[in-house]
Amino acid sequence: MKKIFYEACVSMLMAALLTGCTKKFADINTNPAGYSQANFQPNYILTTVQQAYTGSTDFSYDTWRANLIYCSTMMQGFSTVIGYWVGDKYILNPNYTAAYWGFGSSQGPPLGNGGDGAYPEQVKPVVDLIAFTKNMPQYKNLYQIARLMRALIMERITDLYGDCPYSQAGLGYYDKTFFPQYDKQQDIYTDLLKEIEDATGKLDPNGDQPSGDVFYNGNTAQWQRFGYTLMLRVAMRLVKVDPTTAQTYAQKAAGKTFANNGDNAFVRADNTGGRVTINRNSQILDGDGGSENIYTKWSKTFIDMLKAESDPRLAKIAITHPTWDASKNPTGGNADTAVQKGMPNGHDLSGIAGQDISTVPGYTSIADYSSPSQYLTKRDGVTFILTYAESELLLAEAAQRWGIGGTAAQHYHDGVKAAITYLGQYDPGAAISDGDAETWLTAHPYNAADGLNQINTQYWMHTNTMLDFYESWSNWRRSGFPALVPVVFPNNNTNGTIPRRFPYPVGEANTNPVNYKAAHDAVPGGDNLTGRVWWDK
Amino acid sequence: MAEHVVNPTDWQYVYGQGGNSTKPGNQTTAFDNGQYSYGDKLDGSQVVQFDGVARPYIAQKNNLNRFYRTGGTFTNTMALNRIFEGGAVRLAASDLTNQSIVPNSGLNRQSFNLTAMFSPYKHLTIDARADYILEQAKNRPFLSDGPGNSNFNVMFLPTSLDVNTLKKATNPDGSEFSYSNNAYATNPWFAAEKFINNTNRDRLISSINARYTFDNGLFLQGRVGRDAYTDRYFAVVPTGTAYRPLGSITDQSTRFTDINVDGLAGIVIKASADLTITPNVGASYRRTKTDQTTNTGSTFAVPYVYNIGNAINKSVGLNPSDLEVQSVYGNIELAYAGYLYLNGSLRNDWFSSLATYGKSNKLDVLYPSVSGSFVFSQMLHQSWLNFGKIRAGYAEVGQATSPYQTLLSYALYSPTLNGRPLGSISNTSVPNDALQASKASEVEVGTEMKLFNSRVSVDVSWYLKKSHNEIVSAPASISSGYTGAVLNVGELQNKGVEALVSVIPFRTREFSWTSSVNGSVNSNKVVALAAGQSSLSIGTSRSGNGFTQNIVGYAAAQVVAFDYKYDAGGKIVLDGSGVPVQGDLKPFGSAYAKWIAGWNNEFTYKRFNLSFLIDGKWGGKIFSATDFYGYLFGLHKATLAGRTGSFGTGLNAQTYYSSVANNISKLFVQDASFIKFRQIVVGYSFPAKLFGNVVKGATLSLVARNLFTLMKKTDNIDPEANYTANAQGLELGGVPPTRTFGANLSFKL
Repeated sequence: MKKIFYEACVSMLMAALLTGCTKKFADINTNPAGYSQANFQPNYILTTVQQAYTGSTDFSYDTWRANLIYCSTMMQGFSTVIGYWVGDKYILNPNYTAAYWGFGSSQGPPLGNGGDGAYPEQVKPVVDLIAFTKNMPQYKNLYQIARLMRALIMERITDLYGDCPYSQAGLGYYDKTFFPQYDKQQDIYTDLLKEIEDATGKLDPNGDQPSGDVFYNGNTAQWQRFGYTLMLRVAMRLVKVDPTTAQTYAQKAAGKTFANNGDNAFVRADNTGGRVTINRNSQILDGDGGSENIYTKWSKTFIDMLKAESDPRLAKIAITHPTWDASKNPTGGNADTAVQKGMPNGHDLSGIAGQDISTVPGYTSIADYSSPSQYLTKRDGVTFILTYAESELLLAEAAQRWGIGGTAAQHYHDGVKAAITYLGQYDPGAAISDGDAETWLTAHPYNAADGLNQINTQYWMHTNTMLDFYESWSNWRRSGFPALVPVVFPNNNTNGTIPRRFPYPVGEANTNPVNYKAAHDAVPGGDNLTGRVWWDK
Repeated sequence: MAEHVVNPTDWQYVYGQGGNSTKPGNQTTAFDNGQYSYGDKLDGSQVVQFDGVARPYIAQKNNLNRFYRTGGTFTNTMALNRIFEGGAVRLAASDLTNQSIVPNSGLNRQSFNLTAMFSPYKHLTIDARADYILEQAKNRPFLSDGPGNSNFNVMFLPTSLDVNTLKKATNPDGSEFSYSNNAYATNPWFAAEKFINNTNRDRLISSINARYTFDNGLFLQGRVGRDAYTDRYFAVVPTGTAYRPLGSITDQSTRFTDINVDGLAGIVIKASADLTITPNVGASYRRTKTDQTTNTGSTFAVPYVYNIGNAINKSVGLNPSDLEVQSVYGNIELAYAGYLYLNGSLRNDWFSSLATYGKSNKLDVLYPSVSGSFVFSQMLHQSWLNFGKIRAGYAEVGQATSPYQTLLSYALYSPTLNGRPLGSISNTSVPNDALQASKASEVEVGTEMKLFNSRVSVDVSWYLKKSHNEIVSAPASISSGYTGAVLNVGELQNKGVEALVSVIPFRTREFSWTSSVNGSVNSNKVVALAAGQSSLSIGTSRSGNGFTQNIVGYAAAQVVAFDYKYDAGGKIVLDGSGVPVQGDLKPFGSAYAKWIAGWNNEFTYKRFNLSFLIDGKWGGKIFSATDFYGYLFGLHKATLAGRTGSFGTGLNAQTYYSSVANNISKLFVQDASFIKFRQIVVGYSFPAKLFGNVVKGATLSLVARNLFTLMKKTDNIDPEANYTANAQGLELGGVPPTRTFGANLSFKL
């Protein structure tokens, strides 16, 4: 028995020795293929954030569905007859309207993207970047830039959906908030203006020049002008609902906004990275996911306006009979302005008389309708974020409304000129000279009596050429210009009116039930395509 | 073994392919509505299809049978063994060839097993074994929705399109022969023949166990085991695919090792003539590691050449995993007079996956178990009672989680943006540096009896299982930035009764009939979730509007969907265009069956035997995404009402029913109860003398499985369908159910 006891004791001792080895456990439980905040470079996150704002790494999921299928056709910038492009048919496809908001995936970088859409791909990294750099003096400009990026990102989300998670958004890790509340859009806008003003004011020309910045390569002076331009745009959204605040912040921004097209913020895509870095609009418009290359056309509404005024932009942005090479790079087409023809919105391939595109008077062939030119659909092309032309047109409106910040005529002139000449940033082939722009402007001067219509119609034309149809839609909703005539399509979910808002993703009813229900029940006009966001009263 | 598809659908075949209740008038219209059956009445007239060819406008009800082939599995096994003085050796080899019912898909497996047991010295026995398994899976079928998935696309072909029309798969230029404007609706033949989705696995499972027993009953035992495999996953979206014309490739290598070392010391003590006490103590170490490298590429430089080097854009991703668990344990067993047994154990585990730098978390968990049994028949000595035993036990089990869930981690995307690295958070669930090991407990009480000359046997048990603080990735709103959060979550309770009753009504020398019933009833309940949560999402249907959730106070895995919205008077609310408005998300019952039963009958007559099994499940619910798509595509019979008219403010049937399907997802919650005639086996064993006693015995049996369904309540799916085992209650686009016939011949030499 003694011996047994002895043996048992040896075993116990061995066991005790074994359990002394948990010291290496933390090491074992650290992913050798990852980085921690201690050794990671936060500038790399800024690059991701800026790129993600142009669309999802997962095959332009959000760009395709929100910017193109809905916004571009509702705004009569584009037109198409592809059956699932339901935007200008005013039919609700809840999976499409939910795309911009996003959903999660179980695979994070490097193999996945952690989810598709704005919250997982834009909000998550930008909120992290802010928390990461907050108390790090060596990244003080990076921190302020991250705050401006967050404002830019959140503005678009709330413009599309209205009340939405904002103050608690993206804070799953830092605050352990897994079910963010939906903030009132009014509160979001109030905070956006405050954030933009504060962050812009704290940019330090003597501080760091963030290397991850693809907009300005870390140039803080340009970031200051970006901040004030964004402030102006956010402020002007409020002209219907809160003109006092709109004027106050427009006044603050006046004189400090973008100086010329050199200040335009854009992201240049990179075709070598495949879907992760390719231009989001281009891969769709070049037909990577179907027959968009054949059927996506400029709208008749848009082309008719360009033609009526002999607008020099027409020659650069529109072609008929487009062609692509073997690698699906766009190679051109017929750019002759005389043959350009927009496709009327609200038609299809149903074969029904009057509804099918081929039964529309004047129809010749699909290829005879104008497509976006090869300059706009380059696979490594640029995506414009915020431009000088927008800021000048917004200033023109501020001057027209409240007599602040210079004359409406001058800002209008500068804005339209910039909107014509900036096309060269797409490609040298799309460049229009200052002289040609001036000539056209001389022939088409500002007319104060029709000022707001003129300014906002130009704004709409400009954001259409930027392919930023999100912005076309928001500015149309707040300004009412241009006066678009709704399509007549018998089969629609909006009683024939142009949609005003995207419904909330129904997935939120599953993962964020209490907050979803409160927000869902509170949408004026109902949580559907015809309900309205706060500033669109 | 031959396998045949069983068509689970009951689609409408009144209206044909098309939209707007009209026959497609030209190729463009046909192609644009390629997936839809919202056309005109099928009248046999010549109608242009997606490819410009006019064909009779008639119902095509046999697409599943035309597409799926007869599958088959052929297995050959041979085993050799020899028992000699002080040991035994066994070598077995087996070869399996499987042809799936999905064209161009199948699985081959070769396995070898060598076991040896011998005693090189007195007191020492060594037991060594090695299993070497080689497996080649060719084109594993896809699940869920359309891209590259032949199952989905055959299931939802429009009513008047013959799947064989698509059979050429490619156009003359090599691109996919598409039948609709939806590039993601892959031609099923193209998906089956051109896509590549292969996994090769080489696996070696080996172990050595040495045990030294002293004369006094003390033994020392050491064991080393290793399970290791390398996987190569190779998948290609081929050149010419409609949704990715330039193609893409994934080439993934995974190296997995699991090493297990343990030592045990114990002794068998004969305390008295009747009492034997066996205490033992031990310790173990386990290390489980995975190294995975995934190479992905897109755009083939030279079309149709499928290797990663040929991809113009290449990415690489690393996905390691490493887990160490250390344990010590002790166990004591008391046996008294062959009818009373008691067993108690205590174990402590330490998990590396709970550790975080800078945190001194509790890394371990201590858990006991105790059980006893009493063979009461030995006390009663009743002639009608051949055997009787009661047993009771209580056990706890400690659990942790997989590695790397405690820290926020960053990663770079493989490509750069014009040379600038793209950094991001790699966690998709919020990490948690305060994780604790969880515990599950089980109480079980049972009895086992053989009565009346062993013609009746009964085995009944009652159990109560509780899991507490289980570590799960609890879903979060995506607006938090994350898909979920790694949390110790609440309490789940399962209790139920399992019973097996077997009766032999007839037994003569030549004939016997054994009838047995096994059944179980289980009721589970979500007792609590993480603080402040009343529901926890488990899964989301591909339709986007059906879910499974754990809800406090309800049975686990509730199938939840959107109801109608009702006004104060209980009337369904319609929107401005006349479509029912989406109401609240409501639970409709658990995805798990409450009752499960099987009835088996076995007859033997001389050398023949016959058995059949009928089984069923009751009380589970399933969300049928197949029905959802049935509405969208106009295949579901419910979409027949008002087909040619207009709804509300002028909506056509297609828009109306799609809107209804999107809004009122409760329409797709179905009762998954069923009774199936599961299996019938007929066998014959040949007498040895037939073979001149060269062969010691031979048996031949014929088997048929899933012959027919006696009862089901689902309309277009198999009630047992699901995506995967852990997504119970959701289904879409899997391989349809099959009926199998097989023969089994075995010889004993």
